[in-house]
Amino acid sequence: MTQPDDDRVKVVPEACEALARAVVGLGAYHMNSCVRCGLCAETCHIYRAEPEPANHPGVKVGKVIDHYRRYHTFLGRHLPALVGAKDLTPRALDELVETVYGRCTACGRCGLHCSIGLDVGAVMRAGRNLLAAVGKVPDGLQRTVDNQLESGNQMAIPREELQSTADWLSEDLQLEMGDDEVRVHVDEPGKRVLYMVNPREVKFFPLSLMAAAGVFHAAGESWTMSSKFYDVTNYGFYSGDNESARELTRRVIEEARTLGVEEIILSECGHGFRSFRWEGPNWMEQAYPIPMRSILELLEEYLDCGRITVDPEKNLDRVTLHDPCNLVRWGGIAEPQRRVLKRVVKDFVEMTPNRQDNFCCGGGGGMLSMSEYGRRRVASGATKAEQIRATGAKIVATPCHNCADQLIDLSKNYQLGVEIQAVVELVYNALN
Amino acid sequence: MTAKIVLALCILWAALASVVQVLVARGSGRTDYAVRRGNPLRGIIYNFTVAMTPAHKESVRRHPFKFVVGVVMHIGVLVCLLGVLLLLVGPSAGVGVLAWARPLAALSLLAGLYLLFRRCVDVNLRAMSCPDDYIAILAVCVLVAIVAFIPLGVIGQLVLLIYASVLFIYFPLGKLRHAVFFFVARADFGRRLGYRGTFPPVAGGLE
Repeated sequence: MTQPDDDRVKVVPEACEALARAVVGLGAYHMNSCVRCGLCAETCHIYRAEPEPANHPGVKVGKVIDHYRRYHTFLGRHLPALVGAKDLTPRALDELVETVYGRCTACGRCGLHCSIGLDVGAVMRAGRNLLAAVGKVPDGLQRTVDNQLESGNQMAIPREELQSTADWLSEDLQLEMGDDEVRVHVDEPGKRVLYMVNPREVKFFPLSLMAAAGVFHAAGESWTMSSKFYDVTNYGFYSGDNESARELTRRVIEEARTLGVEEIILSECGHGFRSFRWEGPNWMEQAYPIPMRSILELLEEYLDCGRITVDPEKNLDRVTLHDPCNLVRWGGIAEPQRRVLKRVVKDFVEMTPNRQDNFCCGGGGGMLSMSEYGRRRVASGATKAEQIRATGAKIVATPCHNCADQLIDLSKNYQLGVEIQAVVELVYNALN
Repeated sequence: MTAKIVLALCILWAALASVVQVLVARGSGRTDYAVRRGNPLRGIIYNFTVAMTPAHKESVRRHPFKFVVGVVMHIGVLVCLLGVLLLLVGPSAGVGVLAWARPLAALSLLAGLYLLFRRCVDVNLRAMSCPDDYIAILAVCVLVAIVAFIPLGVIGQLVLLIYASVLFIYFPLGKLRHAVFFFVARADFGRRLGYRGTFPPVAGGLE
């Protein structure tokens, strides 16, 4: 007799193919090396908040590796029960969704402290790759990817709205700086720099876009944004859909070519930096024709070259710094923001731990766009909240707008009473 | 003599199968098209040295006893395997090393049994374990038990050679292959983070 859920136990060939593609040259080494020692437990911010087996990094990474073993190891193929190998069935895929999207931000901290040296982030990303290939991306995250592909930015902000925001920001800047020349430049070809921002800066945090425009003006920078493709984020990276991620990258590089800029500067965005700077060329399988840097590196250059001068007395409150995982651990940018902050604020204090060893705030991995995991997202920020509280800081600087959203939530939920600011805002405030 | 030939063939199998597995895992490789920011070699060196010290590894700092137990078990197993290999090339040297290693093998057995016990009772470890995890620990526990408690006369050596042969057949198939992939994975991780400039870190950021 046919069972009604027979289809639920049939192997999904597309998932097997996607897994095979995902592991070659990157994840497969790591799929073979986990010894399931369990020592990584407390390195994970989600496990620390909710210490249950399902949140243990070893269990989470094991859920992906179980499928790898089934199709890519001898015993997995012939004696699956012996090595815990599992088929990629619709039921298994549904179970995997919660693990790789809802219980892991792929921050990679557990990998750093793994006794073997397993790149857990790469394995979890392989899990996202295969789920994206079979259309199992959570709705909120998929909608964000679709928005980006259809409108050019993740929040589907119309081009006119960007232009209008740029206009009123320009007016405010002119008043504030007392200079009629200062403007937010949009669609101006032949400039030196193409500046990419997080659409949240346009919609909710215009002060950081305004601050960047002010600093660029003070430095005499020649810059512009593109009204078509200004989004520094890449939600294809989060969803595991490498094809979409590649397309989003390609559009920006094409736009930079069209505008004839000499350099692309990425606003303060952790995963945006990682996606464009490190993953993008590999998705496109070619080096970029135009150099690309974080605005943090540019700000430091301005200070070093004397293109801007600052007075730390203008930022007297104690400031601490949150390290976005994708910018610091995966992006290699740990020091420029520190050197900049130490020059623009009077009282800078580090969180502990910090730099590559930092804890994820809980907002990474696309968590902010998946409302079904909202409660866990806020709960998983407990470790970060305690870190912040221990510094006694009034301001948390963070070079990432996703982290900023999460830190604002944490400040409210854990009564931290801190203000969240981008690094460029503190630089702007300190300008002479 | 036959037992030694069988063991040599099993070691050859383990080595060849491991090489094939690493090559298959590597596939066509992965060219990094992003402009390099750091030094991959320095990243690898860092990941095999400083990054492995307790000062830089939170999992070790939090679980020093479990870490030491794990290290003791591994050292015991490696010394016993070295002794077995020496039996192949120079029996007297092999017997000498194995006789000297008996206390260490006994300690290693205790450590292995502790790890097995922990895997049976710890709710997290049970959740992530499959039969292969238990078999792998049992397999090395038997090896060190043979070295620790069976006199290395003709019969003892024969038992050890036969058991080691079985162990080497199993090596590339189950969890024991981490002995090879540990080096590959750690090198790969160090290379990539070195390329990006994350490794070696400029300054400490430890808890």
